[in-house]
Amino acid sequence: MNTFVNQFSTSSALSVIRKAQALVDDDEEFSDAAWGSEAGFGNLAKGVPSFSVPAVHDPTAFLRLHTDDHADPNCRIKIQHGTTTLAFRFQGGVIVAVDSRATAGSYIASGTVKKVIEINPYLLGTMAGGAADCQYWETYLGIQCRLHELRNRERISVAAASKYLSNLVYSYKGMGLSMGTMICGWDKTGPAVFYVDSDGTRLKGDLFSVGSGSTFAYGVLDQGYRWDLTDEEAQELGRRSIYAAGHRDAFSGNTCNLYHVKEDGWRFLGNYDITKMHYEGPGDVPGSAKTGYGYDVRVEGRVSSAAPAVAS
Amino acid sequence: MSSLNDVAGPQQRQFNPYTENGGTILAIAGTDFSVIAGDTRQSEGYNIQTRYAPKVFRLTDRAVLAVNGFAADGNMFVKKVKQRLEWYRHAHAKDMPLHAIARLIQTMLYARRFFPYYVYNILGGIEDDGSGAVYSFDPVGSYERETCRAAGAAQSLVQPFLDNQIYFKNQQPAPGTSFPAHLPLPIVLKLVIDSFTGATERHIEVGDGLEMYVVLAKGRDLSGLEGIVGLQELSTKSDGERIFVIRRELKKD
Amino acid sequence: MASASVYNPVGFDFSNQVRNQFLQEKGLPLPKATSTGTTIVGCLFKDGIVLGADTRATEGPIVADKNCEKIHYITDSIRCCGAGTAADTEFTTALISSNMELHALSTGRKPRVVTAMTMLKQMLFRYQGHVGAALVLGGVDATGPHLFTIHPHGSTDKLPYVTMGSGSLAAMAVFESAWKPNMTREEALDLVRDAIFAGIFNDLGSGSNVDACVITASHTEMLRNFVKPNERVEKEQRYKFRRGTTAWKKESIKDLIVSEEITPIGGQVEAMDVS
Repeated sequence: MNTFVNQFSTSSALSVIRKAQALVDDDEEFSDAAWGSEAGFGNLAKGVPSFSVPAVHDPTAFLRLHTDDHADPNCRIKIQHGTTTLAFRFQGGVIVAVDSRATAGSYIASGTVKKVIEINPYLLGTMAGGAADCQYWETYLGIQCRLHELRNRERISVAAASKYLSNLVYSYKGMGLSMGTMICGWDKTGPAVFYVDSDGTRLKGDLFSVGSGSTFAYGVLDQGYRWDLTDEEAQELGRRSIYAAGHRDAFSGNTCNLYHVKEDGWRFLGNYDITKMHYEGPGDVPGSAKTGYGYDVRVEGRVSSAAPAVAS
Repeated sequence: MSSLNDVAGPQQRQFNPYTENGGTILAIAGTDFSVIAGDTRQSEGYNIQTRYAPKVFRLTDRAVLAVNGFAADGNMFVKKVKQRLEWYRHAHAKDMPLHAIARLIQTMLYARRFFPYYVYNILGGIEDDGSGAVYSFDPVGSYERETCRAAGAAQSLVQPFLDNQIYFKNQQPAPGTSFPAHLPLPIVLKLVIDSFTGATERHIEVGDGLEMYVVLAKGRDLSGLEGIVGLQELSTKSDGERIFVIRRELKKD
Repeated sequence: MASASVYNPVGFDFSNQVRNQFLQEKGLPLPKATSTGTTIVGCLFKDGIVLGADTRATEGPIVADKNCEKIHYITDSIRCCGAGTAADTEFTTALISSNMELHALSTGRKPRVVTAMTMLKQMLFRYQGHVGAALVLGGVDATGPHLFTIHPHGSTDKLPYVTMGSGSLAAMAVFESAWKPNMTREEALDLVRDAIFAGIFNDLGSGSNVDACVITASHTEMLRNFVKPNERVEKEQRYKFRRGTTAWKKESIKDLIVSEEITPIGGQVEAMDVS
């Protein structure tokens, strides 16, 4: 009986404490970790962060209503989409090449996006789909990989890292995350590439391309790919494939960022302007044919008025 | 065509906590300074809610944040960022570095991934190495360091102008010369003013007033700011980075 | 095989209506018409009518025209301000203007304002609101000064002071606080100016300059850009590009002078008679 009174009275000491507790719990957005230098990532080390969710019957439908620009081009919050990314494994390691365009509807929101996320000196992740989802969760993956190193005195394998990410995004399945990423690196097993997306798919493979321009990239990639490519040939193939996608896909373009992962970790090779590659080529880099990729150079001087004679 | 079902069935209301309040923000980074600007009109539909609602805020002596989109979310967000920076000051007895503020903003925005703040943020200021920096964000926290960025209602009018005048897009340099990577402060201020007077002419949601924040690197002299009318200093110390604000009138129609 | 129709229906062609509505439901936005999200007003004074309008034309949030003309000519002593879809207001007023001229010629009298009003409302009603014209019609005729508003569906009002368009509430607030009967020309013009100002400065759909038109029994005065409170400010810098700024891929120079030699064939050619 006494407990019953305590529970429902408005002035007992217990209810005051309970109310105070409820107020404290209400402010769930900031944990103790927000104090100090951890800048919000502090709570991540202890587990998965908490997210505030709108108080509606179907939060996922709410999010889709306001952020899905495919269903409604006039929706208010435009999340960046549209990409070409590729990664492939070969004799000399892993080549990772991406474009740098971010679009919001038909507007080019940025032409200088870094779509390769440097998770740690041995791991790279690529960005396709929601830019924030990829940036945030791959940074988060970097933290977990470092914790793995500290706990096990050994670098995490690419398989384990990609599975960590895959399991993580799978736990948010149906909530509206949008990621199509390739986790690339070098571990005990050699060069490795894993495709992970927000549906929960995780694939091991030699060659992947993700994004709206992937079909164009695959076209070039498939006809030029061999396991025993030299480093220079492989780098040129990556560049040429991104160029092809940037040239033909309206949602990809601007520049190409090229990375090469070898046994001693990844190395950034350069940033190549796609328009420049069309007219002048990628410049004086190993593996390039020092001419533009565009077909203008192939029709130079050949006009219908000077057509070769047809044998009669 | 409405069928009988639509009328007879249960009626559901959509929960719409967002609105668009117009306006435009813009930031440009120089070698040893940054300029962050925004107009001061706040509107909804065809109505002007107020002719003076600041969209640009001083965070620390070397960081300025501009917010655009849904004003209520924007003001709340700035309030919470300032709170976190205050906590950092109490814990570490110094201001948070700019790149750390950028990451903080990312995590704060992403914490609302499933109930986003409808705001486009641009953070400008001075980096630890003394260089001017601009960080731009999308509503859920993806961010990037850039040299210049426009956001908001007139971003599609202003950004192409900036691309042309700052990145020299679609311009060929004179033979034997090259374009500068960063422009001097007086030119940047002129470009900012012209961006906003231009946007005011052609966009109905831009106008009334212009606030330009200028952040100068530690030890930089005031060259480029001399003779500017209505220059007001906001910095707390005179030996560190310094912040100034310049206010201008814009057309009110 | 169906025989080709030789019948051309009069007026609008609605044959794409269903298709366009279907596409719109599929999420394809239809092209936007330039609308004059506008402030237009009219007011009665001692000797006649003063009409007023702002000069901004918009396409969504973009200003399409900073100095357009919204006071349209109907007859010498009747004018009409238009708000709504720009094309609709322009073409309906032009059509009615033509018909009024024909009417004047066939009757041999100066046409009346009610005639224009009736023609406009009958046309708008016939099109059931698809002609998006919201009008303020004013003028002076043999029966005195008249001022009407005509809504897109064809309804009309006759009042001593009227406003229309997105800035109508702002402008009406001014009229309601300061209009009085039997004002002088100067008082009326100042009031109309203030009403348009209210629209220009408080309604985002209206802006730029004030156009006014004073119509009396003897004379009509069109005051185009009566006040210009929003002059374009001077830019801080000149944006002139150096010659050679634009990259070019190839150069080809064509000789436009073609010289031909003509060899006449088929016998004797007579010289042309140029006398």
